[in-house]
Amino acid sequence: MILCRCEEVTYETVRATKEKYQCDARELKLRTRAGMGYCGGRVCRPLLDKISQNKNERLESQVIPLKYQPPVRPITFQRMQGDHHG
Amino acid sequence: MDRINHHPILGERPKKEAVTFTFDNTTYVGEEGDTVAVALLSNDIRTLRHHEESGSARGIYCNIGHCFECRVTVNDIEGCRACLTVIEDNMKVESGKRLPNPLKQGGSFDE
Amino acid sequence: MSDLIIVGAGPAGLRASIICARNGLSVTVVDEYMKAGGRLLGQLYQEKDGEWWNGLQESERLYEEALSSGVEIKLGLSVIHIENSENAWTVHTNAELLTSSYLLLATGAAEAPQPIDGWTLPGVMSVGAAQVMTTVQRVKPGNAGVIIGISVLGSAIAMELDMAGIHIKSMVLPKKTEFNEEFANPLHVMESLSHISHLAPSKLIQWSSPLLKWKYMRNLSTRFFPKRGFKIWDFPVHLRKAALEIVGESKVEGVKVAAIDINGNPIEGTEEIIEADFVCIAGGLYPLAELAALTGCPFLDAAELGGYVPLHSEKMETPVDRLFVAGNITGIESAKVALAQGEVAAYSILQHATNHENFKEKVNRSVENVQQIRDQAPLSFNPHINEGRKKMQNSWNEWLNEHTKSSHLA
Ligand SMILES: Cc1cc2nc3c(=O)[nH]c(=O)nc-3n(C[C@H](O)[C@H](O)[C@H](O)COP(=O)(O)OP(=O)(O)OC[C@H]3O[C@@H](n4cnc5c(N)ncnc54)[C@H](O)[C@@H]3O)c2cc1C
Ligand code: FES
Repeated sequence: MILCRCEEVTYETVRATKEKYQCDARELKLRTRAGMGYCGGRVCRPLLDKISQNKNERLESQVIPLKYQPPVRPITFQRMQGDHHG
Repeated sequence: MDRINHHPILGERPKKEAVTFTFDNTTYVGEEGDTVAVALLSNDIRTLRHHEESGSARGIYCNIGHCFECRVTVNDIEGCRACLTVIEDNMKVESGKRLPNPLKQGGSFDE
Repeated sequence: MSDLIIVGAGPAGLRASIICARNGLSVTVVDEYMKAGGRLLGQLYQEKDGEWWNGLQESERLYEEALSSGVEIKLGLSVIHIENSENAWTVHTNAELLTSSYLLLATGAAEAPQPIDGWTLPGVMSVGAAQVMTTVQRVKPGNAGVIIGISVLGSAIAMELDMAGIHIKSMVLPKKTEFNEEFANPLHVMESLSHISHLAPSKLIQWSSPLLKWKYMRNLSTRFFPKRGFKIWDFPVHLRKAALEIVGESKVEGVKVAAIDINGNPIEGTEEIIEADFVCIAGGLYPLAELAALTGCPFLDAAELGGYVPLHSEKMETPVDRLFVAGNITGIESAKVALAQGEVAAYSILQHATNHENFKEKVNRSVENVQQIRDQAPLSFNPHINEGRKKMQNSWNEWLNEHTKSSHLA
């Protein structure tokens, strides 16, 4: 079952990587490339967050910083020059 | 797919001007105000691109600009979202293709 | 440079823009969609009093009102980065740079993913995609479809499709995965649907919702659901069937479903294929808050609000100087709540920018108004929304306490 549509990373791959390395969300993404594709993780990020959170350390009700890298939409050189479609 | 001309609450669909554009070198007719995605869907075309590596067919997923599944090349500008781009007369739209040489190999940090 | 940039021309952003412009601020609204209105555009349903909520019309009204109030609205422009320096915001878009003293993020919500085998096939779309096609763009998403997911969002939109004459063959639950407990368990689903029973003129749902209050009755009512599903309007809803996989070669050809037990586990030997040329995946919504993260604003993880939400007060201020939020970025609620929150944000910004006493009063009154509207909202995406709001207010107070303490020490 594909989790990350952009990079075609499967649930099985992400799960196995998590089990093997016991890694956090960031490392999980770097290792599998899930969430690193064109959409910037807008589609699969909630799934990856869920996998990388251990049940006993849920951050629910805690104030935390959230990491996002700019640009939040991919941008091509052509479009920087002013012509913008969609 | 058919347009929804009659609607019990919204009423009749207003008449729009025809707009001619090309998709992968074939000419299609859409209506003024259509997005590329809607104009193609009304011509029964769902596949907008093929995945760069696997070549699997892809179409619209979110229809509001979030997922980038619908990205096409519009007048030679790559990475335009078909669901956010409004068609214009003589617009040239091209689908994304599977790349002959994968840009990246594996991409995993696994040894 | 404008006084205020608002990202998002949905109900929250537009309402805020109108109030701020009418009170003398120069306001620029940026939205990447080509039409103003945000997710309000596709909404169409009958309210408890029988009145129709026509989002397309409401959007047009707000848009016209904003323009005539002097708001500058830039559509088709995506915000990709935000920087805060020397008392000014720099907003990077895919075509130009914009600057302002104040920033209001009203970027709304995104649909939470519900992965299933075959969900990348052309013809599979999020249920919101089908909503926009049907109600805003007036083109059929397909000739015969299956909706996977019986959520509040899914049901509201399924009825929109049905109303437009689109053939929905069936609505089924998703296969149970580690991501979707609340959407794959028949009992949970029954409970969440009871909150929108007025939208479903099906005798069965209306009749069963008061009974849902008792747990044992809830068990009973699910067990007694007819094997062949029941009908909301014209399409069958199956609380005892789950989609295992979407099938097709290079586009959707059908959905493989199976009967499930009371806990949502598939029963072997009951698999069948429902033929379809489109599939809608319906789950929940989560706040689209990536731009707030770029400003360094702290976040709270609150399931009742839909996930990670930027820390904010009920006055819509954030811990970041001159940064405000409103609408679904603060938690998933209906469009009317978003409108009311836009009003709060507007008066808070006006008060901050002008220091006028009379805006203080308006802030307080508009905060009360939000709660009233929340209590009467026609759609509630989470039955525990009030708890979520309370959690947020507590976290805000704590943050404020710590912050003022440390600044006193400094
Ligand atoms: C698919 C979907 C269907 C919904 N259906 C219903 C329904 O039927 N009934 C109901 O009550 N509620 C529904 N909702 C909830 C809906 O979010 C609220 O009703 C309401 O529209 C929220 O208003 P808002 O102003 O906060 O945000 P929105 O209305 O979502 O507007 C936010 C705007 O911000 C823009 N934006 C976001 N990021 C950027 C960026 N980086 N750059 C530029 N622009 C950006 C978006 O294009 C969008 O137009 C739905 C939500 C979704 C996602
Ligand atoms: S369909 Fe998702 S961005 Fe166009």
